[in-house]
Amino acid sequence: MREYYTPTLKNRAQPGDAWIDSIRQQFPTETTLDEVLTKKLRNRSKTAEHKTDFSNLETRLVAYLKKATGQNDIIMENLHRLSGGASKEQFTFDLTWNQKSGTRRSEKLILRMDPSESIVETHRLRESQMLEAMWGEVPVPKVHWTDPVGEDLGHPFLIAGFLEGTVQPEGGDKASGLGMFFEPNLRLDLKEQFVQHLAKIHTIDWRNKDLTSYDSPRENHVEANEWSLGWWERVWQEDAVEAHPIVENAALWLRENMQTVEKPVIVHGDYRSGNFMYTNDHQINAVLDWELSHIGDFHEDLSYTTCQILGTPMDDGSVLTSGLLSKTEFLDKYQHYSGNTVDPKRLFYFDVFSYYKVAVISVATSSRAAYGRKTHLDAMMNLLCGFGYTGVSALQRLLDQGN
Amino acid sequence: MSPEIEQFLSGMKKTIEEVVMPNLTDRFAQEQAGIVAASLGFLGLIQDKAFHYELLENQEYKRVLTDINELLNDTFSAPESIVETTVKVAEHFVSDKVEDPTHLRPYKFIRGSNEVMKELLCEFIQLQPEMPAELRTAFEALMKPFFKSIELRERSWVKALGFDPEAEQQADIGDLLYKDGFLNMDTP
Repeated sequence: MREYYTPTLKNRAQPGDAWIDSIRQQFPTETTLDEVLTKKLRNRSKTAEHKTDFSNLETRLVAYLKKATGQNDIIMENLHRLSGGASKEQFTFDLTWNQKSGTRRSEKLILRMDPSESIVETHRLRESQMLEAMWGEVPVPKVHWTDPVGEDLGHPFLIAGFLEGTVQPEGGDKASGLGMFFEPNLRLDLKEQFVQHLAKIHTIDWRNKDLTSYDSPRENHVEANEWSLGWWERVWQEDAVEAHPIVENAALWLRENMQTVEKPVIVHGDYRSGNFMYTNDHQINAVLDWELSHIGDFHEDLSYTTCQILGTPMDDGSVLTSGLLSKTEFLDKYQHYSGNTVDPKRLFYFDVFSYYKVAVISVATSSRAAYGRKTHLDAMMNLLCGFGYTGVSALQRLLDQGN
Repeated sequence: MSPEIEQFLSGMKKTIEEVVMPNLTDRFAQEQAGIVAASLGFLGLIQDKAFHYELLENQEYKRVLTDINELLNDTFSAPESIVETTVKVAEHFVSDKVEDPTHLRPYKFIRGSNEVMKELLCEFIQLQPEMPAELRTAFEALMKPFFKSIELRERSWVKALGFDPEAEQQADIGDLLYKDGFLNMDTP
């Protein structure tokens, strides 16, 4: 493996307590995010490379399910690994168990489990609480069990109902669903729902939901944006395998141009193609991947979703948001459905923020995870760095435009 | 030296695509094998340019850090924290001298030196709020073409990975690195 050329790079590869404490103080984040990020650093030099041998998963999962249900006569079968993700290890299985009503039922379930280090380090309790908060509001899978500590299977996980549907159209074959192509008739059927669900997410009264693992930012204050930026600044400082002047300059620009958030809302954090599923009759039946959700500015989702690098390039040179509709149409429809008014200044701020976030995730964390051999997707993590450098380039072009 | 690296890589890619992948039944394994094959294809395209990429960066970082030090030493009175970074730059230039024939150094030395210089430049960037307005304006003017040079080079480097929605508008990395058959060392 490589040598450490600077003290900072050595600290990142082998974090000590004093360095971890200094990072935590320098970049304040939400309580549960601090928890998982700190755990990641403490484990980094203690744990060996990630094991992809799941030969004993079935035994451990059955033991866990017996404990979780309190039933010894459960039947678990057809455990299979899922392809297509870029973050968590995912498996499906069929479970037969007794319901509270006394009936015995079989259901196909999905197990979402953290690898040793992931392209995004997130909290399974946050994800499960948000999924439960969304139940009945927008289509989401039903969460059955969550272990945010990971004592039973070796890594934190959640188990939810598996929904049948399509994430990528036939022949899509795009990493994490980025830039996927939908046929025109599919676009027409999906685009309205795609915008409506985001508008709904942003208008839910989150204070009446059980979201105890989320910190609540103040209204008319910069706090929500400080936490959002602090999160990704901290991740950059923890994970980057080399310093980057453009990324550093962008972080400074974001600090110096931060806006207040008038009325914080639930932000999905990764709302795009690849993170929703639809049925054969073209109904979106699940909004997925809530692990980056938080309470913040609705412009954050709008900028991220319409970010050109996440869109689908068309033959006429245009880029469609999530392969479905133009940015202008998306924003017009969003304003109509949500009642929120888009502020161009805030939108531009979050355009910069979105590319910064893409850079942090793809250039820093994906490379770090592959460097430490900490995931089941090390090869993909290296490739995603390339995606990140395209993002850094777009980030700089945007900053040039802003200045 | 034979086989050349490119030949090794293309042989591995072909074997994975034509022998291994058709015989895999697990979708996750197929997906990962495809990613490995794509990685090998990318490496085949860029492997012979990695040394010159780092060498060019080495020269550009030396140039910009020298310019910043001159700006701070000769033109403006800088706060103490910034002066500390200029001292670190001077110290680094003892181990990797600006006038040294860096192209004769091993790859790892150049890469290591570049990582140090990138951190030093980032220190200056972080210190911008402490700079007097006139100094900050001059610093930003120095950075603007430098940032442009970085983003163009990096974007061209990863162009072949297929993520770039504007790939056709980006130069091939070979066209960007070389001019008239030599490494293009012109000031950005």
